[in-house]
Amino acid sequence: MDEFERRLKRDAEDIHIEITPEFRERIDASLRGTKRIKAVPDMRTSGINLWWASSLTGLAAAVIVVVLINWNRPVAEPVPVEPVAKRTVPAAIDELQGLSPPRLIKTAEFTTPLEEELARLQADIERARASVRKDIEFSF
Amino acid sequence: MVSDEKLVEEALSGSELAFGELVARYQERLLRFLLARCRNRADAEDAVQDTFISAYRYLHSYNPRWRFSTWIYRIAIRNASRQPQHDMRALDAFADENAADPLEACIVDSDHENVWLTAKRLLSEEAYAAMWLRYVEDMSIKEIARALDKTQSWTKVTMLRGRRSLSAELGDDPREEARRENYGRI
Repeated sequence: MDEFERRLKRDAEDIHIEITPEFRERIDASLRGTKRIKAVPDMRTSGINLWWASSLTGLAAAVIVVVLINWNRPVAEPVPVEPVAKRTVPAAIDELQGLSPPRLIKTAEFTTPLEEELARLQADIERARASVRKDIEFSF
Repeated sequence: MVSDEKLVEEALSGSELAFGELVARYQERLLRFLLARCRNRADAEDAVQDTFISAYRYLHSYNPRWRFSTWIYRIAIRNASRQPQHDMRALDAFADENAADPLEACIVDSDHENVWLTAKRLLSEEAYAAMWLRYVEDMSIKEIARALDKTQSWTKVTMLRGRRSLSAELGDDPREEARRENYGRI
């Protein structure tokens, strides 16, 4: 403590205050007429508790809603997964290929393109014929 | 000697004597402190009385983490600030021109001016209170900040400036005079 602080303390003590009995009696009388306010629960603690309670309630409600929604929903039967064919050539073909000679297949292979070609040619001829006929009719 | 905090416990248990002891311990200290903040002694006594009533009424809200002195001074400062005449001080200054300073009236004659009279003249009320709580009540910076409802930084700066101003005024350090001019009235 330096000199300045000592002087502050000393000068504070030089402030002489006399407490009169009337003043003290006045304080006592006012205290007698004062009702003490009872302690209320700590709002900080109750606030935290309220927060926890509301959070847990909300969580429980959400769980209940999810359970109720899914309770009566029909369970989808598992869709049978067809095995992917490893090969595209039917097994019967193999059997047929084993035959000698594979007449049925060879015949089909040979005739089908020709039949298609024939059909196209006939269609072309028919169109040409119609065109010529139209031209003749137009000329005369 | 029973501590203030123990007396508070007893008062909370219903002991009127315990609170009466607290009143006896603090009535003079508070009155001496509040004389600098009030126009006259009657106002200071009213402020002290209101302080004890508030403390009695809200005793349950006292936090034992702090010293009782911090709490009671906090109430006293608030009560003094709420007094109607507190706001009217400037308006009534003219009317009270001839009225004796209550603080000055309580100071014994001395060969030098009481430093607290100088402080009252130079410093703001908050700076005066901070200085008083520090050097008379031996409160820590933290307690003063609590009592004044200010930050610790504000309290430190205010006390430093107040001390410099007072030192310069009292002639302890002539260099401080120039510094005080820059700070102005704090």
